[in-house]
Amino acid sequence: MEYKEKRLIKKVKKGDHQAFAELVDKYKNSVYSICLRMVGNSQEAEDLSQETFIRAYKHIDQFDTDRKFSTWIFRIATNLSIDFLRRKKPSVSLDAELPGTDGLELKEILASGEALPDELVVWSETERIVQYEIDRLREKYRSAIILKYIQGLSLKEISEILGVPIGTVKTRIHRGREILRKNITAIRGEE
Amino acid sequence: MTCLNKRFVSLMNKVLDGEARREEKMELDRHMETCESCRNHFRELKQSTELLNHLSHPQLPFSFTKNVLDKLPAENRHALREWMSRHPVWATAAICALPMSFVMIAAKRQTFFQGKNGEDHGYLLLRVPEDRS
Repeated sequence: MEYKEKRLIKKVKKGDHQAFAELVDKYKNSVYSICLRMVGNSQEAEDLSQETFIRAYKHIDQFDTDRKFSTWIFRIATNLSIDFLRRKKPSVSLDAELPGTDGLELKEILASGEALPDELVVWSETERIVQYEIDRLREKYRSAIILKYIQGLSLKEISEILGVPIGTVKTRIHRGREILRKNITAIRGEE
Repeated sequence: MTCLNKRFVSLMNKVLDGEARREEKMELDRHMETCESCRNHFRELKQSTELLNHLSHPQLPFSFTKNVLDKLPAENRHALREWMSRHPVWATAAICALPMSFVMIAAKRQTFFQGKNGEDHGYLLLRVPEDRS
């Protein structure tokens, strides 16, 4: 970890709010981006981002300064998002891999012009479709895909964030990529 | 039509993960020249990941950091330092007042013990009382 960040964290460990504010400013948009793509709703994502930083502050004593702060904070964000998904909508990801549903629901939703959260309306059509397909992935595939393609992290970092071996990360990315390919191609084929 | 030989699918994954050796990449390319289903499959995989890469990265409102700070447990260990940086004039006054007060107390003590006629009672107090008979 870079020297400046180490120094900041030492200050945070002593209870320095201003030092913590610098860390929040540095990582808030990356954390938000993970939460947003995990839960697909900007308000929930903002709340989860806030919760991520509050937890990080409260548990900063457990953070080992020899490790990367980004890995640690992304881990908190990912875990909180997964907890949120399990609490809030346990059924959504269950049908993610059911055959025969290829994009049909989305077409219906888009045609009826409702049921999508307000925030998604400002997104482009493509973005809506992609987010919808991300939302349909199981959590374990979703988190791996988001960390890889939206955060652009290395397999090693992803394995540390998710707490699984690199081989498992690869398998999840391959599987997630294949599901996305199938569903996105199906939607495009119908257009 | 549907080839999707396991070996080629795994090569596709290696290429997309950036882990394929040059020979492996060439082997896949050679196969896709003649295999339409693998060619399509690989194109679709690449398109999907490119869509992910191009998703927007919305920014949080500027007030976010302040909102987080407002929710943190109170800053206690640095309360003194915080107060000093917010009130530099009072802080300087307080720091100067400390040695000043020593000087003043010392000065007062001296006049007190010296008494009215200038006799040094303070000095006498420290001595073993003499027999004055």
